[in-house]
Amino acid sequence: MPRKVVSGPDYDDEYDDYDEYDDDDYDEYDETEYGNNHPVNMGKESLKKSSSTVPVHWTCSMCTFSNHESMVYCEMCGVFRETFVKSAKDGLLKDAAVAVSSEPRTSAASKTDSAKTPVKIRSLDSDGDSARKHASMSYDKANSMQLTSAGSSLGAEKKKKTPVLSEVPVERIALLASDDFQPKGNQSGGASSSSQNDNVIQKLSSDLGQLNVDKNNVNVTKPCLSEEYKPEKWMLADPESGVLSQLNLAIVGHVDSGKSTLSGRLLHLLGRISKKDMHKNEKESKEKGKGSFAFAWAMDESSEERERGVTMTVAVAYLETKKFRVVLLDSPGHKDFVPNMISGATQADAAILVVDASTGSFEAGMDGEGGKGVGQTKEHAQLVRSFGVEQLVVAVNKMDAVVYAKERFDFIKLQLGSFLRSCNFKDSAITWIPLSAVENQNLINAPSDARLTSWYQGFCLLDAIDSLQLPSRDVSKPLILPICDVIKSQSTGQWAAYGKLETGAIQNGSKVLVLPSGQEATVKTIQRDSNSCTIARAGDNVAICLQGIDGSQLIPGGVLCHPRFPVAVANHLELKVLVLDITTPILVGSQVEFHIHHVKEAARVTKIIALLDKTGKPSKSAPRFLKSKQNALIQVTLDGAVCVQEFSKSRALGRAYLRSSGRTIAVGVVNQIIVQDQN
Amino acid sequence: MKLVHRNLVRNGPGSVKLVPEEEDDLWHAYNLIAIGDNLQAVTVRKVLREVASGGRDAERVKLKLEIVVESVDYDKEGSVLRVRGKNITENDHVKIGQFHTLELELKRPFVLRKEIWDWLALETIQQACDPAASADLAVILMQEGLAHLFLIGRSITATRARIETSIPRKHGPAIAGYETALKKFFEHVLQALLKHIDFEVVQCVVIASPGFTKDQFRDYLFLEAARRDLRVIIENKQRLVLAHATSGYKHSLKEVLDTPGVMALIKDTKAAQEVRALQDFFNMLTNDPARACYGPKHVAIAHEQYAAVQTLLITDTLFRNADIATRQKYVNLVEGVKKSNATVHIFSSMHVSGEQLAQLTGIAAILRFPLPQLDDIEM
Repeated sequence: MPRKVVSGPDYDDEYDDYDEYDDDDYDEYDETEYGNNHPVNMGKESLKKSSSTVPVHWTCSMCTFSNHESMVYCEMCGVFRETFVKSAKDGLLKDAAVAVSSEPRTSAASKTDSAKTPVKIRSLDSDGDSARKHASMSYDKANSMQLTSAGSSLGAEKKKKTPVLSEVPVERIALLASDDFQPKGNQSGGASSSSQNDNVIQKLSSDLGQLNVDKNNVNVTKPCLSEEYKPEKWMLADPESGVLSQLNLAIVGHVDSGKSTLSGRLLHLLGRISKKDMHKNEKESKEKGKGSFAFAWAMDESSEERERGVTMTVAVAYLETKKFRVVLLDSPGHKDFVPNMISGATQADAAILVVDASTGSFEAGMDGEGGKGVGQTKEHAQLVRSFGVEQLVVAVNKMDAVVYAKERFDFIKLQLGSFLRSCNFKDSAITWIPLSAVENQNLINAPSDARLTSWYQGFCLLDAIDSLQLPSRDVSKPLILPICDVIKSQSTGQWAAYGKLETGAIQNGSKVLVLPSGQEATVKTIQRDSNSCTIARAGDNVAICLQGIDGSQLIPGGVLCHPRFPVAVANHLELKVLVLDITTPILVGSQVEFHIHHVKEAARVTKIIALLDKTGKPSKSAPRFLKSKQNALIQVTLDGAVCVQEFSKSRALGRAYLRSSGRTIAVGVVNQIIVQDQN
Repeated sequence: MKLVHRNLVRNGPGSVKLVPEEEDDLWHAYNLIAIGDNLQAVTVRKVLREVASGGRDAERVKLKLEIVVESVDYDKEGSVLRVRGKNITENDHVKIGQFHTLELELKRPFVLRKEIWDWLALETIQQACDPAASADLAVILMQEGLAHLFLIGRSITATRARIETSIPRKHGPAIAGYETALKKFFEHVLQALLKHIDFEVVQCVVIASPGFTKDQFRDYLFLEAARRDLRVIIENKQRLVLAHATSGYKHSLKEVLDTPGVMALIKDTKAAQEVRALQDFFNMLTNDPARACYGPKHVAIAHEQYAAVQTLLITDTLFRNADIATRQKYVNLVEGVKKSNATVHIFSSMHVSGEQLAQLTGIAAILRFPLPQLDDIEM
């Protein structure tokens, strides 16, 4: 694809922000601003050392998450940064580390170095209290997003009374750490440190000794976190013996572009459909006078779908390539079924965007029927991007209808390419493939038709699938499995939850917490494409049979998670959104449909907090309404509570989509869960 | 509503005797009765009496009581209006100053006495007593797995039923599960329809959904009606209308009311006018944001300083304010706007459009000319 094609400049610019919603550095950009403005005072020396160098990230030794310079612990797993721990050892932050680990420990370690510490703390007892209050208050206000505002208030404090200096960061660390791991345990950190009094000093100093012991270990990881998640051995054993890894591949595109036919054809060619079934489909579709739907019928099984020739819900099929076990998610293209497409295909790792090459159809897919509005080619592309999908295969289908003309293919590539770029797909991550599902050209083998081979020598579709990169899987984090579907097994009569493991791993006999009902259940069997297996890890799409739970408690849209690490169930959220092309502005009080992982819920916008500019800074507070392509911070209230997590903690549970009047009006991420007061 | 007797002075004191006849009328009564008014009605009260032997004896007595209203409570499901207040009529059973709650029901007359009958109250009575403008419409709003049944009257939309079932996705051989779940869901909706819709009252039933759910449901309905010999449905086949909606949630109801086919059925009713007015407001906000404003402060400034209001949209909730001064403020605002030759739409908060307006602070206006300076004023 020639890169010289440039889309409208403004369009492109605005979509740059879109980046922030999906890209890996998203989490840090807040800290970037605040952190740079107010260099954090704690661990000053060690930080200064490294902040003079240009790259401002450090990689967590535990989970390899790249954190911003100003963070002293990993944002993902809470592991402390090594340099920080070292500086603590150097005595700079003695009491910092001590307070962090101030859970009662009885080990009678030696009282080394304790001479200095008690003096410091005693002086703090008199005047440190107000400082403490101040810090924790401002923390509450700013909350986790603006960590460093506490740091700035610290700066102010510092001018007044220097001895307090080391005390405040102590408070902060304790608060942050506890907040990160027990969402509602805000007070515990505060309480533990505010309960410091004279006799605690004893313990503190002994803890200091403990810490000194600890520093001999390489992993000084758990100073404060009794609740930290430790992945067990069976979860991590990953370099599997000959088992291919699983790739969730969504097939999206405008209505009638041939998604189901393409999926059906692929399955057939790879021998996944028995001859008998295929024959049956062919015969029946001919009887109905819809011979061309024979392959689509392999996917569209319900009578309604067959009769109308339209896919209505996401169909799931399994196939194997050389590199992957692929889970095909064949989504509906009709605009009325976009909600089904969202709830069915959010789990995708990569996507095939099917485009109808025939004259008029491609245009309808781009600009909607009659050239007004947004076609589903565009809407789906925007949606899959906001699902977090970065790699896209564009299958230009029905090339037979345009006699395999290179001009048409290039035209589509040009038009759609500029749009995809504006959606923030990288050129290098898009593969363009001309094909014809009906005439079996360029699907699993190189094309045979001379009209196509004369100008196309690239990948066939199957090779393109194999060339996709597997996204990284978070096996080491606590289990999260959003339930996509619940089915009662015909044979055993037990309830099974279908879904993709977002993080963590699960095995037979594991205990899981089922949310939102809050019941615990035991995993009885795990099935992957109707073959049972013993272990499933992040990224796998599985059916999990549960024991000890009633079917009514298990609902699509719920989440299975680790019993000790429940996800939040909330109905009041703060979102960071990008408004798409809309005609009716979003106002305070606008009623929308709120989609997050597999749930949808009616919601309304309760507050528009601020418009955000490109760097994510609030540019205008409390605007009257939101228009197309603006970034904003908003609050929404849902009619019913859903399982949700901040985007910074869990990607999958933190992406939200707002729809209204049959169109996607905004995509965004959950910035913060607002704890509801009782009334 | 039937007006039996009227004895009042415009903008002065007086009383009216009314008989509510439809559910809507109770809603109007709810809007009429303000705190501080006197209300007289027949009621039943349990009275305790000491018998000569020393024991106590409870007895239910039918009384005519007049109370000074302290709170009004509208129960939209049961269509009863409960008015609580202190007794001011002398009688054998209830002391003066004792609390009593009057229940206003259909077909039970009541007398309402007010110190000031403003034009708004009079207009409410006039509207309530106009028999022509009734549009009883039932809407079944559905999507796979979720259905709402609404009855739309002149000024209230009542949610009669909400059906929610989980429907599995298709899953290879388990496709049967999907079909049975869907059948079961339709059966629930059918039962709700039979239970809540009285074809004597309801003119027509609109079935709305995204996709084909509506067609599927209609087919199911006709099939079952023929099979089970449900006369009501067979006889009223032609009164079932299909319409498109984008979801099964309540807020999609305004899309249904906005579709041309349905619009024709409810053409002159309040519900239709409200939907249209709100749509105009949103269009203006999209195309020329400086010519639309919302929020009490902005609208008040636009009216008082610039006399710029062309169309005023306001919900009736604002008039029901317990604080008389606030109510007066809004009444004056509306009157002032009317005098400046502007259109005023008073939205019923029981309709979807009214609900949506209530979310937007309850007051909004389309302006005659752009006022970009409003943006700078704090809401």
